[in-house]
Amino acid sequence: MFRLKLLLLLITLALVFLGSLFLGPKIISPFGYNDIEKEILVSIRMPRSIVAVLMGMALGGAGAVLQGILRNPLADPYILGISSGASLTAAMGLLTGFYVFGRFSIPMTAFIGALLVTLLVGAFGRKRGVILPDRLLLAGVGLSFLFHAILMLLLSLSTDEGLRRTMLWMYGDLSLAEWSLIPYGTVLVLLGLGIAVSRFKALNALILGDEFAHSLGFSAHRERLILFVSVSLMTAASVSLGGTIGFIGLLMPHIMRFLIGADSRLLIPASAVAGGAFLCLTDLIGRSIMPPMEIPSGIITAIIGAPYFLFLLRRSNVLKI
Amino acid sequence: MSSKYDFPILELENVTFAYSGRETIINNLTLSVGNGEFIGLLGANGSGKSTILKLASGILQQRSGRIDLWEKEMQSYRNKDRAKLLSYLPQLLDINVPFTVRELVGMGLYPYDILPHLTVDEALDAVGLADKAESPLTDLSGGERRRAFIAMTLLQGAGLLLLDEPLANLDIKYQMELLKLLGELKEKKGIASIMALHDINIAFQFEKVMLIKEGTILGMGTPDAVLTGEMLKEAFGVSIEVKRADDGSTYINYGSVL
Repeated sequence: MFRLKLLLLLITLALVFLGSLFLGPKIISPFGYNDIEKEILVSIRMPRSIVAVLMGMALGGAGAVLQGILRNPLADPYILGISSGASLTAAMGLLTGFYVFGRFSIPMTAFIGALLVTLLVGAFGRKRGVILPDRLLLAGVGLSFLFHAILMLLLSLSTDEGLRRTMLWMYGDLSLAEWSLIPYGTVLVLLGLGIAVSRFKALNALILGDEFAHSLGFSAHRERLILFVSVSLMTAASVSLGGTIGFIGLLMPHIMRFLIGADSRLLIPASAVAGGAFLCLTDLIGRSIMPPMEIPSGIITAIIGAPYFLFLLRRSNVLKI
Repeated sequence: MSSKYDFPILELENVTFAYSGRETIINNLTLSVGNGEFIGLLGANGSGKSTILKLASGILQQRSGRIDLWEKEMQSYRNKDRAKLLSYLPQLLDINVPFTVRELVGMGLYPYDILPHLTVDEALDAVGLADKAESPLTDLSGGERRRAFIAMTLLQGAGLLLLDEPLANLDIKYQMELLKLLGELKEKKGIASIMALHDINIAFQFEKVMLIKEGTILGMGTPDAVLTGEMLKEAFGVSIEVKRADDGSTYINYGSVL
């Protein structure tokens, strides 16, 4: 049954991906395109769609893992300030010319930021080993404000190139997508997802609580740290590919939990695939409805995601993931 | 200890514990649990019942003294190996998780890399939840939910269960069912359990009880020997009258607060 559902999800993803290649402000026929159209497909639309799928996968997967480790249905890399932390360190790295890791410099600095914020939010949100859901959210919101302010400061100080990238990181924009981003993006996303899926038992046990995790033979601290690393890898990948896009990590696990259940072994890959399809679709919508203007995907996901967030907040049982 | 329980599977020796920077809550505690023993742990709120269970399960580490599981120091076990020998169920009052019964119970197999001695369906049968396997846990009654967690523990295959107030907030019918189930496990599989309790009347059904106050043991032995009016007054701070009915069963009357 699950295989069938995952297959349907993958088919949906493939259809959305193909749609995003051939549809848009200019509709290109898949059965006969001229050289200019081929150039649009290969140089612009294909890298952009691949980047959208990778980012969406990273965000959907990261959301599924975060909601589990933090035992909080409102967790999402964007809401908890992890994305903005990653953007901030990446922007700082870029502006100070920090290229120690070569091609991987931006994702690596983003990863460091994401991991620091994840650990920080985790530390703020806990009291005597118990996670307090409201504290956790407020910690994320507070850190998010802080990082945003520092990013604004950098923005007002930065040069043209830095400015453009910093703007990108603040609002999320796929129009800068290009082929050169894709190899390292793929590596980071697959690495993050791989770690998360390989620790699915520990994640399920952590959802029951630290004491259950202990009783079932896991070290809660160690497993949580490993999973934080996987979330940070995925968030960093997504931020360095196309900036901060919110709410995919919130929405996808919820929809998938409803469709396929809560077992992390299935939920993580399903949320990732659904996230890929969703971002690819919102990007297609964003560049199609008002050409030549583009609505950044981050705005569309926020318009859908923020009301849902408020809806969840109103539900009495915040802890029920 | 009777000869039936000649082999201690869990031993605490002069165990002391305090959370960092706070007062000692467990003081020089010594106790031993034999194979297949069924022990009720009784004491007022804050007397240290939960802490004792957390120490005995290795979640908390003692400040001083020694805790051995199968004659080997508790903290020297690998997590997975310990999980095959003992299973701890925290208080389940507010547990609210998104899994189905089958998914939850299946987690009992996590410590194992080999084929289990019991299947999920057999474990569900044992607790009478076979027909609820695919239900979400959130749809179950409090009693059923607790039985689901017990089934998970069964699948884990541990010979020692440490249960923190498994009967709290349960209807009396479910309390009886759960006790009966644990009694059967003891008879059929020799599974030992220590259960933190609130209800003194229920404690009289145990073969062995342990009465604690402020982290030390006031008395340990058969209910008739330990749960006397004097001892209960000492432990709970109220005068409690222990009466014996015509059929030989024991019950209590609560008196006034001292």
